[in-house]
Amino acid sequence: MEATLRVLNELEQAGVVSRYAIGGAMAATFYAEPVLTFDLDVFVVLPQTRGGLLTLEPLYEALRARGYCEENECVNIEGVPVQFLPAYNALLEEALAEAREMMYEATPTRVLRAEHLVTVALQTGRDKDRERVRLLREAPFDPDYLAGVLARHGLGERWHQWQP
Amino acid sequence: MASMAALSPEVTRMLAAKEQRRRKLAGLPFPEKVRAVVQLQRMVAPILRARGRKVRVWNIEGSAARRSPETP
Repeated sequence: MEATLRVLNELEQAGVVSRYAIGGAMAATFYAEPVLTFDLDVFVVLPQTRGGLLTLEPLYEALRARGYCEENECVNIEGVPVQFLPAYNALLEEALAEAREMMYEATPTRVLRAEHLVTVALQTGRDKDRERVRLLREAPFDPDYLAGVLARHGLGERWHQWQP
Repeated sequence: MASMAALSPEVTRMLAAKEQRRRKLAGLPFPEKVRAVVQLQRMVAPILRARGRKVRVWNIEGSAARRSPETP
């Protein structure tokens, strides 16, 4: 896992991605009890292309050049299947910009804030997102910060609807 | 479903212990949680494979220890 994060840091330093942060189940695990997942979801801000297209192809190319192969929708990086997800809306752009910097053993990395994970789950709205919101309700988060995120992205009502 | 008030003291004690364990797991350092996730993967993978789903258990310890410039 640490080797995987070092590769992500290399990609960012080389400008292949402008910024990355861990999201999904592994980010939820950072704040709450461990939950089963087989993928490491990594949100990325991609550098602007000439045509303005949002494509992961240059990232996949850079990974192939480093010897990491695609497996279905993931890339196996140092033993961990990583799924790259571009920040495709304003909420994810904000979540990436404000992701929390932390250390994984000796390696720096970033994880989305718990407040953003809750809001992303509310926005996505699948059954497993309900479960993630339930789990994260027990995580330590800043209620004022969460209220701001929910208001900015129009998800306050759903937050209240999803109360247990 | 029976309310908490209707549960026997023994069941109540067991549920409280379960809750306490969940909180303890939530408080583990992140690398230990990742190891717990991999342990979960090892437990679940044979069942999922038997159902025809392709899953890969993470190899978090055996990867090459390459050193590299680090950001952030």
